Order: sequence, then structure tokens, then C-alpha cells
Amino acid sequence: MYESLDIFRTAAAMARHAGARQAVVAGNIANADTPGYRARAIAPFSQAYAPDSSQVMRSTRPGHVQPDFSPAAARPELTDEEPSPNGNSVSLETEMLNGVEVAREHSRALAIYKHALGILRTSLGR
Amino acid sequence: MTDFSQALTVATSGMRAQAQRLRYVSENIANTDTPGYHRKTVSFEEEIDQGRTSGAVTTGPMRLDQSELETMYDPSHPLADSNGNYQGTNVNLLLEIADAREAQRSYEANLKMFDQIRQMQQGLMDLLRK
Repeated sequence: MYESLDIFRTAAAMARHAGARQAVVAGNIANADTPGYRARAIAPFSQAYAPDSSQVMRSTRPGHVQPDFSPAAARPELTDEEPSPNGNSVSLETEMLNGVEVAREHSRALAIYKHALGILRTSLGR
Repeated sequence: MTDFSQALTVATSGMRAQAQRLRYVSENIANTDTPGYHRKTVSFEEEIDQGRTSGAVTTGPMRLDQSELETMYDPSHPLADSNGNYQGTNVNLLLEIADAREAQRSYEANLKMFDQIRQMQQGLMDLLRK
């Protein structure tokens, strides 16, 4: 039973990641007209979550312990989009797209959380 | 949670900055016919909070456009010099309208962002309610 609680951790991490990403998108849009501002971005959750294949250990027996994987801290990085003449590299269209993507990711994470909670409740008979 | 409230603050700062810009644009448009009026401009900069950029935007100091004023010829004007010329304004209406449009576009983007963040927060709250 307890190993399925991982789903809660993953869903929570995904929702948290979406929140952090949305904050970065909001910052970019707020600074869409600031001269010299460089757009920032956080890598999508799938990339942040995917374990680095070089660090994965092989487990050939059930007794082998896998390292506990937790997503790396989401760190905003500068994007390499072509800046406009005033040195600003924010593209409102890209940011809108990112915003919608993040919102969907967030609602997906919450839906997963909600349904896992429902299953847990059902198994408890409540 | 802090991510959301910070994002809301940032989106609000964007709206505030664009509104400020729109205010200067409307001042310029209102003064298109004021003799000797220099158009006002304002630039945006990243907000610095305790030595670090907070991601929010703020408006810099208001500056007057120092480009040359238009010379108008009207000998009957009270401000006319001995040649019958007086100084008009350097407001270019086309420029102001374009600026206003850009401000509106950015304002709407910020507003949309605000709404989206609010909805995400709402989803989180709905989870608690059930």
C-alpha cells in the first residue's frame, strides 16, 4: 500500500513545479517591455523528473535498493531567443503558450492527486 | 503557495507599470497643442529587492523627450517672436497611439496571467474543500 503513496509525491512535485514555472512566466510577461531584460525559463517537468541515465543503478534482485529520486530544484535559466533592438528577449506569444501549458500541467497534477485520494478513501471504505 | 502569491505580485507589478505608461501617453496626447510641451517618456526596469531582482517590473524616473520642438508659424499667436514663429510640441500622435496599443497588449497579457494563476490557486483550494 505504502509504495503507491509515491503517486502523491509525484503529483505534488508536479504541481509545485508548475507553480514555480508559472511564477517565471509571470515575471517574463511583466518585463515584456523592460529594456535589456532576458527571458527566463524552467525546463518542463518531464525533463526535470527524468532521471539522469548515467546515474541510474541497475537492480537485478528485489533486495537491491534504488536511490530515492527527487526532482532537481527547478532553477530558471536564461533562454537564447534573439533579443529585440532594446535588448529584451521576451516573446509574449511564447510566454502565453508556456502559461497555458503550465496551467494544464498543474490541473493534471491536481486531478491525479484528487483521484488517488479517492482511491485511498474507497479502500478505507469511506 | 508562495510561488503563487509571488507570481500574482509580479503580474500586478506589470499591470501597474503598463497603466503608468498609459497615463503618460494620455498626458502627451492631451497636450498635443500646448506650446512648448515636451513629451513625457518613462522606461521600465527590473525591481531590485534587497540587492536581488525580484522578477517584478517597476517604472523608472519620468524623462522629457529632449528632441527639437516643432516650429509653428502664426504671427497672430501671443507667443510668436518677431519672425512670427513660436515653439509647438514634439508630441507625435502616431507614436503615442502605437505606444498606447503596445501598453494595452502588455496589460492584457499580464491580466491573463493573473487570471490563470488565480485559477491554479483555486484548483488547489478545491482539493482541500472536498
